[in-house]
Amino acid sequence: MNTKFLPSFMLFIFLLSMAAPAPTVAQSGGDFSDNAQAKKLPTDTILVKGAWSSASDSKAPTPESGKITNNTYNNPYFGLTYALPPDWIEKYTGPPPSDSGYYVLAQIRPAETDQIKNRGSLLIAAQDLFFTFSPAGNALELIDYSKENLSADYKVEQPPTIIQIANHSFVRFDYSSPIAELHWHILATQIRCHMVQFVFTGHNSLQMETLIQSLEQMTLPDEAGPISGKGGGSAPVCIKDYVRDENILEKVDPVFTERRFNPVPVRIIIDKEGKVKHIHFLSAFPDQAKAIADALFQWRFRPYLRDGRPIEVETGIMFGHVPRPSAFSSVAAVSE
Amino acid sequence: MKPMKLVSVLACAVALFFPGKVYGQSDPGVRPGAINGQPGATPMNPLPLSSVNSTDGSLQFFQNGLSRFQDVESVSKSSTNNNGLGPRFNFNQCSGCHAQPAVGGTGPANNPQFQVIANGIVNGSTNAIPSFITVNGPTREARFPFFFNSSGSPNTNAPNGGVEDLFTVSGRPDAGSCNLPQPSFAVAQATGNIIFRIPTPVFGAGLIENLDDSSLLANQAAAARNNLGISGTFNRNGNDGTISRFGWKAQNKSLLLFAGEAYNVEMGISNEIFTQDRPLPGEDQLGSGLPASCLNLAGTGYPEDTTNYAPTVTSSDPYALNASIPSDIVAFAMFMRLLAPPVPSTTTPGGPASVSRGQALFSAIGCATCHTPTISSTQPSNFTSSLGNAPVNAFSDIEIHHMGTGLADNVSQGGAGGDQFRTAPLWGLGQRIFFLHDGRTANLLAAIQAHESNGSEANQVEANFDALSNSQKQDLLNFLRSL
Repeated sequence: MNTKFLPSFMLFIFLLSMAAPAPTVAQSGGDFSDNAQAKKLPTDTILVKGAWSSASDSKAPTPESGKITNNTYNNPYFGLTYALPPDWIEKYTGPPPSDSGYYVLAQIRPAETDQIKNRGSLLIAAQDLFFTFSPAGNALELIDYSKENLSADYKVEQPPTIIQIANHSFVRFDYSSPIAELHWHILATQIRCHMVQFVFTGHNSLQMETLIQSLEQMTLPDEAGPISGKGGGSAPVCIKDYVRDENILEKVDPVFTERRFNPVPVRIIIDKEGKVKHIHFLSAFPDQAKAIADALFQWRFRPYLRDGRPIEVETGIMFGHVPRPSAFSSVAAVSE
Repeated sequence: MKPMKLVSVLACAVALFFPGKVYGQSDPGVRPGAINGQPGATPMNPLPLSSVNSTDGSLQFFQNGLSRFQDVESVSKSSTNNNGLGPRFNFNQCSGCHAQPAVGGTGPANNPQFQVIANGIVNGSTNAIPSFITVNGPTREARFPFFFNSSGSPNTNAPNGGVEDLFTVSGRPDAGSCNLPQPSFAVAQATGNIIFRIPTPVFGAGLIENLDDSSLLANQAAAARNNLGISGTFNRNGNDGTISRFGWKAQNKSLLLFAGEAYNVEMGISNEIFTQDRPLPGEDQLGSGLPASCLNLAGTGYPEDTTNYAPTVTSSDPYALNASIPSDIVAFAMFMRLLAPPVPSTTTPGGPASVSRGQALFSAIGCATCHTPTISSTQPSNFTSSLGNAPVNAFSDIEIHHMGTGLADNVSQGGAGGDQFRTAPLWGLGQRIFFLHDGRTANLLAAIQAHESNGSEANQVEANFDALSNSQKQDLLNFLRSL
């Protein structure tokens, strides 16, 4: 470069830099970080939850608190234990309870994914009968309704039939998909006003029968049955719609400060004195749960009497956005 | 190299580059043939709904919206382009990102965001191309799930989730002295405090907009009879409680809102719904806002996009004059609303028998529980007859579902939490390139497998997919690419 042009060139570079100034260097905070060693977030973790399940205390078990330990599924809420078939695992946990009262309790499959083709999979699920969309008042009606509304994609192999498993009554319903060559074997009973179901899915019906036999070793509470499961024994009795005017002595409405218009299904246990003893939020934002808890602990109910003596009762209330009026029930079922 | 070792290396290489082939089935790839399955459609001219016509003026509004959707935006001083771009933005043209397979679609194969410096949209001395924007990767917006604290680490007690625009106007000749840094993308990536979203295609969006809530609720109740571990809910509009439906988390109620938000957030153009220039989430929440030197860069005052008091075109067609009067966001909404839905192929790929079997398998194993093939039908329409009393073959229930830790982005929008997403409508899937909310894969098989993880509602359906034979899986993939 000819040196006589150097000053002009430098001036040009200077003006260019003025025309395109380097952006301000932001310090840490908000959208900016100058910390190359900043702490990493945990991976594969849901840190920001939406409406989720929670409870007012950890003393009373909840339906979603069941766990698999030592190859056995144990659910203290339902009083249920089930030893998994050998080499079967829970590869993935299920989602949280839904705002229509549906629970994925466990999803069990062969340890090797490629074995699903030969050996199938098992879903253990529950539907809270207080909050179901379907016009059914008990587990038997719910399975019957499923059968009546089965998609044309499927073929009924065995209509709902009462059978005995582990010395308890279940309703069994089998159907299949000819195109997928898959069979579904559903065994359902009712415990604490929930339909609890075991859904076996696989290609090989004989293999499925062997798995169904494994249910014989499961333990269940006395109440379990397609219609009969309404609590009692060591659990409170469960009654739909116990929260009605004639049973409410004192009531304070919860105040939601941030409206989201979501349904907030809540199960409560009312003690012998008519006070709320335990609250289970199936699906609620934390601020909603707090507002509901603050209100419900001030409610007073008429104690539930059986044979003239007060006993604990479990019931359900829908706060927030109520999806639709209840469309049933055909029989007394979970109501009294 | 010993023979056995060579075989192992080759096997690994095959598994790496042809994952589907190893298992005997593969994604057929982007379906060739007519754009959106519609003879006559071109990449620049997607087709409107069949009832859209020039007699009632709806065609003129559609064409006007299509034209504005392709406008290149400037910051200021342009007599030919719109002014108002920035001060932060992700791209300068709606159709740059909504391009595949036609205007109104999703991200194209050649990522225009990678070319912003080369094409003079962004000044290379003041902006860098973030490493997650690649030449043939998906067009993306970025969000930080959490704000950084004062020591520069993500603060899990301070959820953020807002869009962190990729680029600034700093250094552009039409941006004056506005001087803004880009957000800290590198640290966000290093700390895992960043997630991505790709553009949602809007073909057929007017039909989704015109679905009555009662139809969606009835579909939800019917789907509740599944034995698959699935139970979704709806995201609801915070103002009136009705079901919202647009965006990856169904966070937007209407196409006008969707357009207004995108114009403001993605392109930095204030409008009649979002009336200020948008600072970054931290600049807004911490109160610093945008510097004065970056405000009113267009010199027009706010909002930059407004209703025009008089026609902006010259024409002997009164409808063409009328169509030029609304603001850009209204024109965008009209374009999206009047866009025809994609037409699936009954034969391609794999032949009619395979596509038909795949469709049956899609329902049989439970995919259709969430990806509802048809919701019928829409409410009567006051826009155009095709939008009214029509089935919506979107393959979506418009519900939000828990998708587990594998897909969770830890961003909450409206009633949707960090792992909840709207069931992505699958119509037009056959001609998309990138899948899932962040465009993490271009392989349909990988996208299906990503549906299972801890906490996902789709785990049982994915297990059913795993139970299919290789030829059945291929039929299902062929069916999906026929859409």
